[in-house]
Amino acid sequence: MEVAREIYWNIGHGVVIPMCILAFTAMGVICWGFWKRLPIWRQGKPLNRIDRYDERVKRMLSDVFSQSKIFRVTDGGIFHSVFFWSFLVLFAGTMLVMFQADFFTPVLQVNLLSGEFYKGFSLVLDIAGILAIVMLIGLFIRRFIIKPDGLEIVRDDYLVLQLLFAILITGFLIEGARMAATEMQQNPALALFSPGGLLAGQLFTTMTADTLLLSHKVLWWLHFALVLGFFCAIPYTKLRHILTTSANAFFAPFEPKGAIATINMEDDTVEQFGAAAITDLTWKDIFDADACTSCKRCQDRCPAATTGKPLSPMKIIKQIGELAEGNPAGNLIETVTQDALWSCTTCRACQDVCPANIEHVNKILEMRRNLTLMEGAFPGDEVKTAVNNIEVNGNPFGLTFAARGDWAEGLDLKIMGQDSDVDILYFVGCYASFDRRNQSVARNFIIICNAAGIKVGILGKEEKCCGEPVRKLGNEYLYQMTAAENIELIKAYDVKKIVTACPHCFNTLARDYKDLGLEVPVEHYTTYINTLLQSDRLRLTPEAFSYTYHDSCYLGRYMDIIEQPRAVLNQAGGSIREMDKNGYDSFCCSAGGGRIIAEEKLGSKISEVRIKMATDTGAPLLVSNCPFCLTMFEDGIKTGGAEGQLQVRDLAEIVAERIAA
Amino acid sequence: MKTLLIGEYRDGKLLESTYELLGFADQLGAETALLLVGSESQLPEYSGTLYLADAATCGEYNPNLHKKLVLDAVQQENPDYIVFLHSSYGWDLAPRVAASLKAAQISEVIAASDGSFEVGCCNAKMRRSVKPATGKTVITIQAGAFPVLQPGGSPTIKKLTATGSGSLEFVGYEPAEKKDVDLAKAEIIVSAGRGIGKKDNVPVIRALATALGGELGASRPVVDAGWVEHSHQVGTTGQTVSPKLYVACGISGAIQHLAGMKKSDFILAINKDKDAPIGEVADVLVVADVMQFVPALTAKLAK
Amino acid sequence: MKLLVCIKQVPDLESRFKPNSEGVWYNETDLAFRMNEYDEYAVEQAVQLREKMGDGCELTVLSIGPDRVVEAIKKSLAMGCDNAVHVQDSAASSKDPWQIASIISAYAKDKGFDVIFTGMQSQDRGSAQVGVTVAEQLGIACTTTVVGFVYDNGTITARRELEGGIKAAVKLNTPALVTCQLGLNIPRYPTLPNIMKAKKKEIVAIPVADLLNEAPLAATTSFHPPAKKGGGIVLEGDVGELVDKVIAILKDKTAVLR
Repeated sequence: MEVAREIYWNIGHGVVIPMCILAFTAMGVICWGFWKRLPIWRQGKPLNRIDRYDERVKRMLSDVFSQSKIFRVTDGGIFHSVFFWSFLVLFAGTMLVMFQADFFTPVLQVNLLSGEFYKGFSLVLDIAGILAIVMLIGLFIRRFIIKPDGLEIVRDDYLVLQLLFAILITGFLIEGARMAATEMQQNPALALFSPGGLLAGQLFTTMTADTLLLSHKVLWWLHFALVLGFFCAIPYTKLRHILTTSANAFFAPFEPKGAIATINMEDDTVEQFGAAAITDLTWKDIFDADACTSCKRCQDRCPAATTGKPLSPMKIIKQIGELAEGNPAGNLIETVTQDALWSCTTCRACQDVCPANIEHVNKILEMRRNLTLMEGAFPGDEVKTAVNNIEVNGNPFGLTFAARGDWAEGLDLKIMGQDSDVDILYFVGCYASFDRRNQSVARNFIIICNAAGIKVGILGKEEKCCGEPVRKLGNEYLYQMTAAENIELIKAYDVKKIVTACPHCFNTLARDYKDLGLEVPVEHYTTYINTLLQSDRLRLTPEAFSYTYHDSCYLGRYMDIIEQPRAVLNQAGGSIREMDKNGYDSFCCSAGGGRIIAEEKLGSKISEVRIKMATDTGAPLLVSNCPFCLTMFEDGIKTGGAEGQLQVRDLAEIVAERIAA
Repeated sequence: MKTLLIGEYRDGKLLESTYELLGFADQLGAETALLLVGSESQLPEYSGTLYLADAATCGEYNPNLHKKLVLDAVQQENPDYIVFLHSSYGWDLAPRVAASLKAAQISEVIAASDGSFEVGCCNAKMRRSVKPATGKTVITIQAGAFPVLQPGGSPTIKKLTATGSGSLEFVGYEPAEKKDVDLAKAEIIVSAGRGIGKKDNVPVIRALATALGGELGASRPVVDAGWVEHSHQVGTTGQTVSPKLYVACGISGAIQHLAGMKKSDFILAINKDKDAPIGEVADVLVVADVMQFVPALTAKLAK
Repeated sequence: MKLLVCIKQVPDLESRFKPNSEGVWYNETDLAFRMNEYDEYAVEQAVQLREKMGDGCELTVLSIGPDRVVEAIKKSLAMGCDNAVHVQDSAASSKDPWQIASIISAYAKDKGFDVIFTGMQSQDRGSAQVGVTVAEQLGIACTTTVVGFVYDNGTITARRELEGGIKAAVKLNTPALVTCQLGLNIPRYPTLPNIMKAKKKEIVAIPVADLLNEAPLAATTSFHPPAKKGGGIVLEGDVGELVDKVIAILKDKTAVLR
């Protein structure tokens, strides 16, 4: 007996023409829907995100079909990914059927859908359909019964879930009806390869032949109508993410993580800085709102949102979308609120986890730029004072610049102004220069360099704040002023390599200063020390200790330096007990984004939350790699009541203690 | 050597600070005459010449008129030094007198010797010695820099009168606002740090502040922990202060705190850690348990 | 309406001060300079009045000193001053308050300024004389230590800050000069477009010799650190003895305990 099925059984090939017309109409509706959205996106400023076309396409295809970004978070992610793949299989299967009927059979006179292949084909499609239904049920339970915190329920959720569910069910019913009339009677062995259809077919076994045929016809058309409905709904419902989120994988930036547009201060025709309205954003910023699926993964990871501060990265994206669509002339900053904008630590957890390649951080920075550069606004008086201090004395504390190099007294290093024949320039930064706790880190780094025979120089009183905190608060002008002075100085000394012990200085010097003309290679001390160890220039006498490690945002998420510091610590004798949130999932200390000079007035203390995560590991020691984190954790241990339970130390301190004699 | 001392009178009362002028003249070893725009019912305990104008007719703040009165007395007395307190009254009136006489003015004098005067500058970090080059010199003295001298007796009164008000009209006084605390202007601040251990100990620190006549301050962790209200916070994230006396109780001296209080004239720190960074800025570091030392100090001060 | 605000550039007070070679003022090496804090309040108040009066009102900022003071002038322009005058004087620090006031008066005397704003004193010299002396030299009304300022139709209602938090309300008719105190306002942070505009504004330079005809009335003979106070005494021992020691020190070294 022939192992195959009759395509368009009970429907007839005559349906092809109307079906095509309707399908093309649906495509038209999709195009029309997005065409109507085009003016919304085009309100934004131009931005080239179609260069390097090949790479973009490749990235998009791999992102979409691998579902890797969605899969990264299992909650909801597994359901989505499996559903996606199942639905993809069903879609591909349906396409194959169509091609068979309208191309292979009439033109090539071959039937792919026969024999063993047909058996496999039928089984795979049926399993895919069953899996898709199971996943849908899972998604349904998650959204409507479990209701995870922060997950909104909107009209689209009902509509889309019901529509998809109806398509899958009607699909099985058609199959069941057809099989009840054909396979189940004529070839029961083959019917076993369509388990879903076989099950659905039981509903039809008692029907008379006429009723069965009629039912099948009605169901077929219903299924077809639902599918058309699905297509037509794409531009107008959350389903639009199928196209927009995929497109965002194409539009995602190629710039290094954390890259911020450097404002041209020489151009005096510009009178507007930062974003106060939708039209000050780029088209991509507005498009991001359409790519957002409200999965709230950003919000779940946001240190501000999770400690009761009025910031949700997701909400900001939505607010941008709502303004762009409904009130383009509206005040963007008032809508988002200053409190929300100032709460951001620029930790990048939102952007890192976003499955839709949405760029949250730079939007916030653009709005901050507007507040700072156009309004002279600050998150608080203490910030204004600190900014003034940076302006006058080059450090946020307002301590005299002449004392910047005092910590180095008696140490074996060179002051560049006196002798610039060095292997590395150690860019010390404000905290290690002036803060007693962090001066210990600086001294220990020098001891390490001495042990490895590295000649170190510092700029001493000539060094100024790298400008990172003020830049992240939006004060591009002051950033560029201080940066320019540092750059001029560094260039004058013909520096071969810069090492910093501060991830903020590191990011700024290594990436941001490039835009202002600094080309000297810059390294963070963790990788530098790692290299010294690998090359045997530095030798340690390991001494066992148990620790947990905090990935600072600007080292881990921004610079992908995750393994090297752990390698160094392990080589020093450490055995790590990881916190749940580590590596790319690390939880900010609260001090990024210029928050180091601001008081944390809203919500609970982020540093205490992080300290709690550290104490939960049971490790007595928390190792940090950043002066801001160290400062916040010293504070958080005291205020969070973890004194005696947890100690925070810097990697350099641990290493220096174990230098081999 | 002759001095004309310009006393102070406000809101119907002779101000005690007037006697500091006498203390200054005494250090100078100079003859004195006093001038007061005040009232016969509130005469200073002083046995020299008192040039007295009536505040009821001349006003308590009417600088143009008061200038005329002082110039009148200067003419009668021909002093070498015309001395004011460096106060809202003195620094307002002294330059007007100096300008009229084209005399040198030396402001906020803290010490005098040999025709040269010592004044603070650069926020009391440095001192200047200033020598006048004119026959007459107008001087304002720093409040509290010279001892109070209350010689007793009753003055010989010479009445002064003047008329005309110029283009300035005194409207009235506003009493000090009863707000929570204004640390920026406090002369004495006693601050609590985490070294005090717990919230229950805050009253102990407050008691010392009260005993010294100062305000309660606090470090950031103490405020963050909710032990003390934010308006009391000293440091870069609170208020930057420069009182005459700052007492740091159990404050180790985080950089943010140090930056906010190190301009204080005199810093007394109490800490059990001898190496605490607060020691770097403290004039006196008492190495002791805060909760033992502070109550003992308060008790002694109360005696 | 014409307004004038006089500003001084001073070293940041966190700086370490060392005497210059003549030993009469500070050596400028290693000093960071900024606008005198009290002058910032003066500029802010002047700009607020300028904005209130609108077109037809003109605000000039004046500063005396070496080239570095241009930075402070630029900041005032960015805050909202219309015109700028730089009285060039590389030896401004050796002038006494009388001379500084005379320079300002010589500039202002025929300009018809309705209101002149100054800080109540400079942070470095702290004489608190220049503002009042200028008013005397020009023969205009003046009040000092202002923490409240309202201008209405030729009359200024000012609140003076007295000791102990008491305020005194006074009215002055213009032309008048006020010296500004902490608490008067919160100086604005210049916006970037205003900083850019300020860069293009002309700063009129006048050599000090064109304005100064006065000799000094007083001379600084020495600039030196105060006799070493406490200097970080560390006291240890019995609590009772410590208390006595501390009280003795406080009585000796501070003005607050007698």
